[in-house]
Amino acid sequence: MKYLNWRILFFLMVALVLAACGGTDEPADTVETPDEKPAATEAATGSDETESTDSTESGDTVEVEAPTGVSNGLDKDLSGTTIRMATIGGQPYEAMYDSIGKFEEETGATVEIVFLGDGFEIDRYLKTNYAAGTEDYDVAWNHTSFMAQYTNFVEPLQDWFSDEELAAFSPAIIEAATIDGDLQLIPRHADISGMHYRTDLFEDPDLQAAFESAYGYPLAPPATLDEMYDMAEFFVGEGVVQYGTQFAGKEEALAGRFYEVLVANGGNYFDADFNPIFDDEAGKMSAQWMLDLYTNGLIPADTPNLLWPEVAQNFCDGNVAFYLEWYGWYSYFQDPENCAVAGNFGIVRGPVGAGNDHTGWAGAHAFSVAKASENKDAAVALVKFLTSEAVAYDEAKLGLLPVRDDVWARVIADASASDVPLDAARLEVAQLQIAEDFFTPPLFPDWISFTDTWYPTLQGIILGDMSVDEGLEQGVNDARDLLDSFGYYE
Amino acid sequence: MTTTSAKQGEKANQAGVVSAPRHSSSRTTWFPFILIAPSLIVIALVVIYPVLYSIYVSFTPFHLLRPEQTFVFTTEKMWNNYIKLWNDDVFWKSLRNTVIFLAVTVNVSYLVALALSQLLARVSRGQSVMRTLLMVPMMFAPVLVGFQFAWFFNATVGLVNNALFSLGLMQEPKAWLVDQPTGMIAIMLATIWMNIPMLTIILLAGTLSLPQETFEAARVDGASAWQRFKHITMPLIKPFTLIALTVLSLDIARAYDVVRIMTGGGPAHRTEMIWTYTGRLAIRNSQFGLASAMSMVAVVLGVFFTLYLFRQLIKSRVVY
Amino acid sequence: MFQRQKIEQSFYNIMAFGILILFALPAIWVIFTAFRPANEVNVTPPIWIPQKITLDAFASLFGFNPDIAAGVPVGSYMWNSIRVSLLSTIISVGLGTMAGYAFSRFRFRGHTLVFLLIMLSRAVPGVALGLPLFLLMRQYGLVDTVHGLALVYIAINIPFTAWLMDGFFRQIPKELDEAAYIDGCNHWSAFWRIDLPLALPGMAAASIFAFLASWNEYQLASLLTKTPVAKTFPVGLFDFTSQFTVDWRGMAAMSVLMMLPAIAFVILTQRRLTEGLTFGAIKG
Repeated sequence: MKYLNWRILFFLMVALVLAACGGTDEPADTVETPDEKPAATEAATGSDETESTDSTESGDTVEVEAPTGVSNGLDKDLSGTTIRMATIGGQPYEAMYDSIGKFEEETGATVEIVFLGDGFEIDRYLKTNYAAGTEDYDVAWNHTSFMAQYTNFVEPLQDWFSDEELAAFSPAIIEAATIDGDLQLIPRHADISGMHYRTDLFEDPDLQAAFESAYGYPLAPPATLDEMYDMAEFFVGEGVVQYGTQFAGKEEALAGRFYEVLVANGGNYFDADFNPIFDDEAGKMSAQWMLDLYTNGLIPADTPNLLWPEVAQNFCDGNVAFYLEWYGWYSYFQDPENCAVAGNFGIVRGPVGAGNDHTGWAGAHAFSVAKASENKDAAVALVKFLTSEAVAYDEAKLGLLPVRDDVWARVIADASASDVPLDAARLEVAQLQIAEDFFTPPLFPDWISFTDTWYPTLQGIILGDMSVDEGLEQGVNDARDLLDSFGYYE
Repeated sequence: MTTTSAKQGEKANQAGVVSAPRHSSSRTTWFPFILIAPSLIVIALVVIYPVLYSIYVSFTPFHLLRPEQTFVFTTEKMWNNYIKLWNDDVFWKSLRNTVIFLAVTVNVSYLVALALSQLLARVSRGQSVMRTLLMVPMMFAPVLVGFQFAWFFNATVGLVNNALFSLGLMQEPKAWLVDQPTGMIAIMLATIWMNIPMLTIILLAGTLSLPQETFEAARVDGASAWQRFKHITMPLIKPFTLIALTVLSLDIARAYDVVRIMTGGGPAHRTEMIWTYTGRLAIRNSQFGLASAMSMVAVVLGVFFTLYLFRQLIKSRVVY
Repeated sequence: MFQRQKIEQSFYNIMAFGILILFALPAIWVIFTAFRPANEVNVTPPIWIPQKITLDAFASLFGFNPDIAAGVPVGSYMWNSIRVSLLSTIISVGLGTMAGYAFSRFRFRGHTLVFLLIMLSRAVPGVALGLPLFLLMRQYGLVDTVHGLALVYIAINIPFTAWLMDGFFRQIPKELDEAAYIDGCNHWSAFWRIDLPLALPGMAAASIFAFLASWNEYQLASLLTKTPVAKTFPVGLFDFTSQFTVDWRGMAAMSVLMMLPAIAFVILTQRRLTEGLTFGAIKG
């Protein structure tokens, strides 16, 4: 026993002496692995000159014959292959992974999920592994807001999918997901927030009368940001609910929510040259709105610690009168086993701000294939399967918004046959929002870096650590410094 | 790495082994180095090499997602990261928070442990039950301590708010981890709770090993309990105190796990510490160069803290 | 007089007991929660003593989503943790004991310097080590392996072990060694036959520390391991909570599982711990 340990020890030491001596080559090695594409400057200037590098680096994929016809990913024999997958986890996402069993059965492949985490954990995981060249997955989660970070490391998918197959997906999303001619991802479901409100509060005659006499206009689901504030104040003042409204208060979730309020108020984070401009009137108005909600106790006291699951749980428990939430929780909210609000809520379009625009911060959850993957064939088959009509339909049944027209047709047909009026109404609202209000955050590789720098400052404004003006000034300066250090203004 | 041990060998030849047995041959002077070498090699690989690498990286603008453009060392830009840190308010804030955090947790942990050890030394019954109760926090990984206290102080479902509500002491839920200074206090409480058992056990062992006659004599001479504690117990358990503090200092960065889970340094950098800020920059923001510069500050801080205690320890050993 | 002393004594006993119960309360609460039925968790007012004991939380942990590969592979996390902790404990205590012996028995130039160098390596925080280690280890295929992680833990545990054992060997009279040399022993056999057996209690104490430190480490493990092949328990726990934020009972159940080996280890060796820690200090 003792000798065994010594042997292991000796082996490890030799291995590590070698490792240490070889370690000095390491910088050179890092330079080689990822390709040459200067992602930052490219996004900043929008230049097309990277086309040439693209064609050389996708050399191995050129040999692949462009597929024709439509595949649901089940038509290949993949016996003996293992497809590894790193993806997002959490209540609304998991159901889809149950269908993987079917894929394994029909193709003979084995699917191994190497990582599951929330949106920010999975981003961290993918980023580290892409950067270090240690991809241990073939299929990776992706998202339109995050994808610009990964462009160097994911397989361009236009060569793997037939035109016919791609035509099934929403053209707007496919277009948004194409960077320099390369399709980054295949969308899984769309992501936009509708105004969820409690019907038992809004339809209560006493509350309606009280509201109208106090505010001078009738009580109805809030259509503007100002109305949101009034109604939040009213409901909390009446003591009928703990919080008027709410939003997730940290990470990109907060920066994104601020973004859509900012856009609704007529502002934006950056101009066309990536100069940060959110310290203007629209920015001040948006920040002041969040600050007022917090200081007057209209949103939860622990807002800066809340993320998606916590806010959803708050609404589910009936603690909140109304708020902006994506459609993915629908089946969960409608389940009386889980939620107090089941059967007692409605959904309307996002509110309008001072700029006369609706909120509509949006994106799409998606899958990509790692460029480093050694069995892209099988990986693509899995992506085809997961985004196929049948699986997408199962996921859409839970409430997530489809990105395929054929699935839309089926869920609309189902909804019109349903006894619950909201089933159909919500889809109409969602379609309206996707058609009219859908906008993504700026699709540049440093969106997440930017939001990570900005959200603590925004928290500082909301918590009153600094004034609105100071905070926005600091936010703009920090953003400029950050992008400057990445060479955006050269 | 190999050069390090070779150098050691040279030194050995020059110095010889002072306390070695008289008949020792020249070959045996190598003996202590043979014993130390494996440890040194492992430490060199796992600690010293990465630290040197970090130092190098801290002079480059290395960005994880665009290594080819940024992993470049240029003399005119080598201080950029350090200049950036110098001008970064958040960095100074995190440094201040770290220093306050260390000062408070170390001192309070020590004082509580000292009081607890004096109390336990007088207990006549149920020693082993109490000792087991005392050691319970030792079985919790820092990660668990973090989760557990984050849960207790949670504004909506937390035990603290819940209990205060039920007792009618509170009407509005309090966001302990958001407000100032309760967020910091909560983190400190968790860390202190985690530190106490080890300190108490060492101090208790020290107290129990003291000669009873001295105390009896002092009692007969009319010394009060406080005087006995101050003039007999305290000086005699000094080596134990130093051991306890050194053990604590070696593990101080464990607090990172607790902070990361309870608040992640937020909100609005209110509980930002040098460790969380470094982690945020390195991994979330991919700014590895800047993060390395900051981690150097963390290394220096940790090294000085430990160095100070070790000097004290070695001094007290000479006295004994 | 006697009566007064007795009252004073029971006052101390009761106070100590009360304080310690209060002190252990957070832990007790977590343990209770793991065994509660779901409807007792997070209710207002809190239910202090569980009305019914149930193993539901554990069952759902182990049987979670059995039809997909993901779920929470609690079993493999545990097995990885055990392997990493044992491997690193055995080797680091072995190496640390050797180093400690060298420091306590020999005076040589650079003695203090080397000693301090080893000690200070422990003071380098994990954030400074994580990424460089990751980049280094992935070149040699050590990322996401039990051996790679164990190697890191060995380095982390050596300083403390060496320090503890240094104090311990000082305690053993040098005359024993001298006698051994007269009997014809060389350094090795003196170390092996005379000093090492006497230092066993110290090694036991050092083992506890090394084991607990490895068992509990999160920060480096979270960077250096990625899949159930090598992921340790603390990392698994973190993933669990990042996916299912609201499941506090599941978290509590996982905590209890994670504590089990640590409890066994500490209780079994409780007395050794105190002895080992303080032995060296008495004479220094």
